[in-house]
This record gives sequence, structure tokens and C-alpha cells, in this order.
Amino acid sequence: MHYRVIHKTEYDYSESVGLSYNEARLLPRFTANQFCHATGLVIEPLPADYREHEDFFGNRVAYFSLREPHQRFVVTSTSEVQVVSQAGQLNLSQGTDWESVRLLLRQQRDPLTLEALQYALDSPFVSANAELAAYAQLSFPPGRPLLEAVHNLMERIHTDFTYDPNFTTLATPLSTVLAHRRGVCQDFAHLAIGCLRSQGLAARYVSGYIETLPPPGKEKLVGSDASHAWFSVYVPELGWMDFDPTNNQIPVDQHIIVGWGRDYGDVNPLKGVIFGGGEHELNVSVDVRNLGS
Amino acid sequence: MTTVLSEIKQNGPDQWYPVPPGSYDEMLNGDGQIRPHWEYAIRALRTLGMPELERRGAEAAKLLRENGVTYNVYGDPAGQSRPWQLDPVPLLVSSEEWGGIESGLQERAELLNLILADIYGPRELVRKGLLPLELLYNHGGFLRACDQIALSGKHQLVVYAADLARGPDERMWVLSDRTQAPSGAGYALENRVAMTRVLPSLFRDSHVHRLALFFQSLRSGLNAIAPATVENPRVVVLTPGPLNETFFEHAYLASYLGYPLVQGDDLTVRDGYLWLKSLNGLERVDVILRRVDDDFCDPLELREDSRLGVPGLVEVARRGNVAIANPLGSSVLENPGLLAFLPGIAEHFLGRPLRLPTAATWWCGQPKELDYVLANLDKLVIKPTDRGPGLSPVFGHLLSRQELADWRDRIRLRPAFYVGQEQEGFSTVPSLVPGGLEPRHAVLRSFLVARADGYVVMPGGLTRSAPHKDEMLVSNQAGSISKDTWVLASEPEKPIELVTRPTPEQVAASLSGALPSRAADNLFWVGRYAERAESTIRLLRSAIKKLYGDPDHSANEYTESLHCLLRAVTQLTGTLPGFLAEDAQALLREPEAELLSVALDETRIGSLANTLRCLVQTGYAVRDLWSSDTWRVMEELEEHLLGTKRYVQPNLWQVQDLMDQLITSLAAFSGMAMENMTRGNGWLFLDIGRRLERGTSLLSLLRTTLPQQRTEAVETLLIEALLDTSDNLICYRQHYRNNMELSAFLELLLLDENNPRSLAYQTARLQEHVSKLPRDKTIGRLSLEQRLALEASSALRLAGMEELTAVAESGTRQNLDQLLARLNYLLVALSNAVTAAYFRHESAPQPLAPLRTT
Repeated sequence: MHYRVIHKTEYDYSESVGLSYNEARLLPRFTANQFCHATGLVIEPLPADYREHEDFFGNRVAYFSLREPHQRFVVTSTSEVQVVSQAGQLNLSQGTDWESVRLLLRQQRDPLTLEALQYALDSPFVSANAELAAYAQLSFPPGRPLLEAVHNLMERIHTDFTYDPNFTTLATPLSTVLAHRRGVCQDFAHLAIGCLRSQGLAARYVSGYIETLPPPGKEKLVGSDASHAWFSVYVPELGWMDFDPTNNQIPVDQHIIVGWGRDYGDVNPLKGVIFGGGEHELNVSVDVRNLGS
Repeated sequence: MTTVLSEIKQNGPDQWYPVPPGSYDEMLNGDGQIRPHWEYAIRALRTLGMPELERRGAEAAKLLRENGVTYNVYGDPAGQSRPWQLDPVPLLVSSEEWGGIESGLQERAELLNLILADIYGPRELVRKGLLPLELLYNHGGFLRACDQIALSGKHQLVVYAADLARGPDERMWVLSDRTQAPSGAGYALENRVAMTRVLPSLFRDSHVHRLALFFQSLRSGLNAIAPATVENPRVVVLTPGPLNETFFEHAYLASYLGYPLVQGDDLTVRDGYLWLKSLNGLERVDVILRRVDDDFCDPLELREDSRLGVPGLVEVARRGNVAIANPLGSSVLENPGLLAFLPGIAEHFLGRPLRLPTAATWWCGQPKELDYVLANLDKLVIKPTDRGPGLSPVFGHLLSRQELADWRDRIRLRPAFYVGQEQEGFSTVPSLVPGGLEPRHAVLRSFLVARADGYVVMPGGLTRSAPHKDEMLVSNQAGSISKDTWVLASEPEKPIELVTRPTPEQVAASLSGALPSRAADNLFWVGRYAERAESTIRLLRSAIKKLYGDPDHSANEYTESLHCLLRAVTQLTGTLPGFLAEDAQALLREPEAELLSVALDETRIGSLANTLRCLVQTGYAVRDLWSSDTWRVMEELEEHLLGTKRYVQPNLWQVQDLMDQLITSLAAFSGMAMENMTRGNGWLFLDIGRRLERGTSLLSLLRTTLPQQRTEAVETLLIEALLDTSDNLICYRQHYRNNMELSAFLELLLLDENNPRSLAYQTARLQEHVSKLPRDKTIGRLSLEQRLALEASSALRLAGMEELTAVAESGTRQNLDQLLARLNYLLVALSNAVTAAYFRHESAPQPLAPLRTT
């Protein structure tokens, strides 16, 4: 499937900003199933300095700095991306059981497993703990195939938790999300990752977009008005498998990946340090157009 | 005890220096005999005698205190810094043994350097299984933002320090590695300077290796890492600021090495380069000697709540446009878990085991090792893999049964975050305690710096001994005592001048172009506070004198002039409402308590104590710019200030005594500034601050006392008091005898440009000074500062005495009042203009509000 994504972020400040330093992770990365034709950032005011590099996780980062005094700061990222449909239906009930995967992760030293192992460790936003383990346990009976267990966990999160854009903020700890059973895609992704890590498994956070207007006959997906987030789990032999707990589905070709990391903190779409500014108003819009196959 | 040392030969040392059996002592061997390399020094100390040695120790302490050598202790309620403690008995190391230690340290530094390069490069050690991924990736010092950033030369680890102690096998062991921003080299140097002063002949005859070469190597090592395209790299020392525990050392090293001392917001990133915000605008910075913890260095890519860093710094390093020593992320090597894997890594990189042993360490992230640690917890030292608040080593043998059980649970919960380490008994060194020598456990910190041709080791180092007998834990925060470390040369070393150090004045001069704007700001305020303290004291003294004086005039007049002075005290110090309150009658009748408060209440803004505190703190923030003599005066002020805390029931007599001492110290300080400081930009700002303050103080005094016409008798009393306050009474009498006349008074205090206490003198100096400030020379008209100073100075030159003394029908001297008001306005405007033009006044940065995904 071929998409054009336009992601516009707009800050209006009550006072002038004289200087700012920023880091944007808004340029989609290349993956086995995703090819980026054209990507680009338009920044207003014009940056005094701009440079791209790849970060620790292989994501594309744009560093820039603004020196022109401004009260309005706009970053528009436009990308044309080809998403290759992930072949066929997965047979969830086959494959390695989750306990063996946990063991493999710690015993094998091949580059792929080692690369995956880092996502089994705690990270600033997501630490494994007893509460998360207790919630996860129901999905992880002994001997259950990993994919089946993860799928079940995703379904449970989708059923047990209410999508509520007004309940949490970035600072809301996972324990609050778990206790109140509400949140947004980012919270659900973090929650699933925490559950998986508490079982000793490797899970990472994926940031991206989903199609805005559904194809005829299909329902509009939740989370299409802004950046979206889901999680991915490491399955030996198959590699990384994505799950979207917000929409209770395994992404096929409606998800466009921007980047991934241990948690939100590693793929923050737009970071910055600004001098001045006072109060601000923030507007974000995302438009994902399906340009056909 | 006085004969203790002379008894060595007769009684055998165990009488006077009781070494516990079975432990290794640096001075005595197992048979109680003095080791050969200690013989000379001990004989010399014996000749000196114990009382004399104690006297020399006190002398050294005094020197260090006067030089302001301090160590800030977090959470110390007694004050922010405490004097550095030096034991005059050095630790001696023989030249043969040192050779082994030196090459062992060099080898270890080379290995750690290879590990650091690998961790932020290919990470081959992880892939080969020589370093567990969990151990590395869980560590807070592993900065992912710094991945693949490398210095251009072959050394990533530029400065390195190791804590050493002698184990029971008589070999030197490495206790821990300091790889981020090792502190202590500056203290070692100060210790050495003090020791050569108090034990000069012993030092000379002992053939001690000199330290100066090490600092030359440090300089060349820092030059060598500069970006390749730079010919004369600019190096700065980056400090977290005066509240940091080792700020003294940051300032000392900056001054010794001749580099500007900067804080994060003295620097800014532009166009992919790093710049110093100096008085002359932005100046490129090529190398940072870093004393800020690495995760605090860039709020954009590292800790976003940091106020100590420079946004964009990581990007500049990534582009290779600045070299940071040590590189950001180097604290990853301070993980004690790494010690468990060093033998394997040494084998891999060097093909042989390390020469200097390390205490056996078990990382609990592995099942077998975890079991071992849990089973032997009562014999091991438990160390968290990360450093941070509340994460200090715990000695298993000191724990109760219950505590041990709790620790086992804690470790089982997060095993990868702990190591168990064998607890070694370490050797003791002779330490001077009241009345004699006592064996104390000690740790030696040695320092290395990378040069292109390899690591250079400081021949010596900083020895710290435990604060109590039998105490094993040695740390500055816990109050250890330092010692100089003497590496004895087999033959006399060619004396290299230790003090190749430029004087701070020379440094200030050579840096005049690069004087950080913050430093100029601080100097300006040092000038203001010093003068403010002085004028406060002078006025308080006059007021107290008048209060206790003998009224030889009629009571009414006397009282009126006293009240007038008291109101002036409130006005000048800004301690409102005070004597200016509407219902101040009672206060004016019994002013003692209020005067005491204005003098001594440090929490009251404007009080003398508060002003002095501000002076000392502002002065401390530019510690690197003062000569040691000037700093000694600052220390004196601080002592006086501390002295006031000891008053049980303070009274004004004590305050008068105190103020007499203070005025002398303040005079010494301004004399030093006048006579010893190069007339560079730094001095200009100091003196502008002083002149502005003296001008506004005088104006404040005159405005509260003169415009309102009073009876002749009251005015005479007032004029006399004001002359006394401004230190002009004698001068006045010489000129005008005892006729207290307003016109003569105004002539002297307002208009006479030759009188350094007059207002005209201040405005004339200000006019000169502001014309010398750095400015854009292409603009062909006067700057705002110049215009203001010119107007003030001209207004005084054009003033006519008759107009000034004329009294209007309302009973006020309107012309005088207007002139004084205008002058006050001009001086305040000038102060604001200088601040706006030369000091940084931008708002603090804030993080951009984060986006949310939905």
C-alpha cells in the first residue's frame, strides 16, 4: 500500500522565542516491509542549522536550531511510504512457547538475539514489576506458544482498558494506567511492553501512523489524528512481530512506522529546548492518504 | 608524648606507634623495624620533635585555609564549604615500587581506554560475550545519545584516576576507577605547595618527584585532542558552579592551567560549533575539561531537567567540532560490575592479565555468581552497579541478621544491579593525631593523563586517611584527612619550577578578550557589595557613636541629628521599614535592637551580614580570578562573619569591634584590587561597581539629611557626622577647621574631583571607565553608558554653590534636592545600562512541551 503522510506540529507562544534547539524523529525509517520514497521536513522559521543522523536504534533524527525570534514554530513532515503487506495469516498457535523464548534470549549470542535482548531490560518509562507480571500472568500459562500469549495479552488490554484521551498525560506512571484501566495508545503500548518484560521477554515501542480514512466498508481506526504507537515483540526465527492493542489488531498494511525504541522516550517525535516563549498553544494534525497499491 | 619520637631507638617503635598485629603498615615492617625508605624522613621528624611537627601541621592548615582550599559537603548545615584537612606526615613510596605502580596504572588506563572506545564504537566485547549486555545497557552511564561519537586521536579516556590501597599480600590493589571527571589533582597540588612551605628542608633532602610535569602533560594532552583544524585551541574548564563539592578545585585548576572557568550557560551552540559568551562577543571553544557529570551536559539529548549543561553540546561533539575530556558517557567505566570481567577483557585486548590486582568481584546478574554472593553476603562488600544518591557500598560484616536478609531480598529482586566484592584489609599509614602518631587506613588516588605517546602518571597523588582508627571507609564526604604523597627519587631530581603557574592577574590579562560575561557580572557585584559593606559600616559606626556619645549640645538638637542618622541607616541599607516606618518613634527612642539586626541578621536583605555574605559568595564564584593574597582577605571576611555566630548575646560594643576589623579587611581588599589587578576588563567592571555603589550610597545619605533645612546647630551636628561617615572629617578640619559649613561641606563631598570620596570623583572615574569598555567601534557616537556618565559628571561640574545652598520658601534646598535626584537617576540608569549591555540576562531555557501520541 502506498501512503502520503503529512504530519504538522504547530506551537504558538505568548512570548517570543529567541533561540531553540530541537531534535525531530519524524522521518520514517526503512524496514523490511516499508520503503520511503520521499520524505522531508519543512520548518518555520528557517533553521540556522540543520543536520540528520541515525540514532542508537537506527531511527532517523533531524537536529536543528532556530535563531530567528519567533512566536510561531511549525514543523511539517511529509513522507511518501510504500508498505508491503506482511505475507499471509500467522498461525498463532504454532511456534515456540514463551518460556523457551525467554531462555533463548539469554543464552543465544547471535547478533539478532543480542540486539533483541536490550528490549527485555527496563527502560526509563517502562520497568517490569510485580503488578505488571500479575496482570500478564493470565495470558502466559506454562507452555503456551509465544504469539498466542501475546495476542491474548493484546486482546485483554483492548477489552479491559478504556480509550480515554483525557485521563493520562506523559507523566502518568504505568501503575496509574493499570489501576484505572484507561489511557491512550502510548499507555497501552507501554503497558504491553511492561507485561512482556515482566515475563522476561523482549518488547519494543513503535511510533508511527495509521491510515486516516478507512477503505470503504472498514471502520476508522483509533489514533489516526496524531502520531500513533503500538508495540513489537521479538520472536526467534520470525523476528519482530507488531501488535496494536489500541485497535486490537496485528498490523498488516495500514500502519506506517516512523521509528522504534525501548519506550516513548527513545522516539519522541519532537524534542526541544527553547529560550523564552512563555505560555504556548500546541496543535498537531496528521493526514495519512492512501495513494493506492 | 613530647619525647615519643626520641624514644624510637630506645624503646622500639611499638611503644609509640602501635601497629595492630597481622596488618601491613607502610612505615614499619613485620618486625617493628622502620622500612628503609622511611628512615630518613622519620629521623628528620624526630629531630623536629612532636610539638614542632604539630605546629607545622597547624601552619599547613592555616596556609590551606587562607588559600581557600575547601571541600563542599552536601547537606552540611554548618556551612557550604569546609576547610581541607592536611596531615603533615606524608605517605612515602620508594622509587623502585613506584616504577611498578606506574606501569601497572598505565596498562590499566590503556585497557580502560580500549573498553571505552569499544563501548561507544563496535561493541565487540558484548558480541564476543566478554561483557554482558545487561551489565552495560542497564548502567545509567551508558549514554545512547553518545553512541559512535569518538575523539580523533587514539585515546578516548583522556584523564583517569585510580584509588589504590595495599592489600594483605603487600601488593598495591586498585579499589576503584574514576573515569568521568576525576577530582583531586588540584588538591594534591595544593597539598604539595603547603608541604614545601612547612617542611622545606625535609622535602628538599628527601628527593621527592615533582608534580609540575604532570600538569604540563595535562595541558599538552588537552591540546592534542582538539579538533584537527584548530591551531591554538581554546580550552575551558566546565564547572557545575560554586555549590559543587569540588568547586575550589575547578577554580584552582582553571587558574593554574590558564583556562577560563565556565558554567553551562556561559557557553552556547551556534552553527554546529561551541562558543564562549565573552565580553567581546562569542569566542570559539575547542576543548572542554569537564567537571559536570555527563548526563547533565546537554538538556536536549541527555537529561532534559539539567540546568548545568549546554543545549546542543552532544551534536557539536558528534560533528567533531569540540573535544570533551573525558568524553560524554565515560562514567560507564565506573560500573563496579565491570571489574568482574576485566580479567577476560585484559586477556582479549592485551593478551595478559593486568599487573595491578583488583578485589575479586562477582556480578549478581549471573546465576552462579548470584548464589555465591547471597551465600557469602556477611563477608562481602555490596555495591550497586550505578552511582547515585543513596547508592553507597555496604559492608556485609557490619549488617545484622535481619539486615542481611533484607539485602538478600533486595538483591534477588534486581540481581543485575548489584555486585559483591571481596573485602580486603588494607595497610595503615602513620597519621598525626593529637599527641602522637597513629596507624590509619589510607587510600591513594593517582592521576593519569593521555598524551599522544601514552599515559603520563602523576608521580605522587592524593592520599586520604580514615577519620578514625580502624575505620575502613575513606571518603571526602565522610570527612577523611588528606596527605601529600612523596615518591622518592633514587637521586636528586633536577628542580623543575613547580610554580610555572601564571599569576591570576596574568591569566586575567591574557583572557581579557575571553572574560566570560558571567565573570564580569560577578566582578561588578563584588565591587558593589564591597563598597556597600564599607558604607554600611561607616554609617553604622557614626550612628552608634552618636548614640553613645556625649551630648554637649541641647538634647533636642542632639536627638534630631541622631534620628536623622538612624533614618539614613534604614535608607542606605534598604532595610525598610526600620527607622522610616510611620510609627518609628519607639524604635527611634530605643534603636539598639534594630541596629543589631541591621548589622548582624544575615537573613535580612540589606543588613551588613547579608551584604558580606553576598560579597563572599559572589567573590567565590570568580575564585579563579583572585590572587592568593586577595583571596586571603576574602577568607578573613568570611571568618569575621562566622565569628558573629558565636556571639551569645550580641551587643553594639561587640558590633563596633567587629566593624573595626571588617573595615580593615575591606580596605585591604580594595587595596589589593587597586594595586594588584591588571587594568583589564575584569578590573574595569569591579571598579565600575565600586564607583556606582559609592556614588549612590553618598547620594542616599545626602538626600536624607541635607535638602530639608534645619537649625544651624542640628546641621552642624549632621555635617560632622556625615564627614565622619565618609572618612572626611580630618581632611575637612585641615581645610576648614571646625566651622561646619554647608557650602564647604558640599564643596568637599560633592564637587571636589580630587577627593576620592566625593561624588564628582566617582562620576569622573565612571566616565573614564565606560569609555574603555569593549564596544562596537564603528558606531560614531557615544554609547548610552557614556552619555549617562557624561551627564552626571557635567551636572556636578556646572553646579554653582549659591544655587545649591539656596533655601526656598518651603524651607527646602530645592536646587540641591533636584540635582541629587537627577544624579541618583543617572547612576541607577548607568548601572542598568551596563547590565543590559554586558551581562547575560536571557531567560533560562525550558523544554519544549512534549507531543503525545494517541
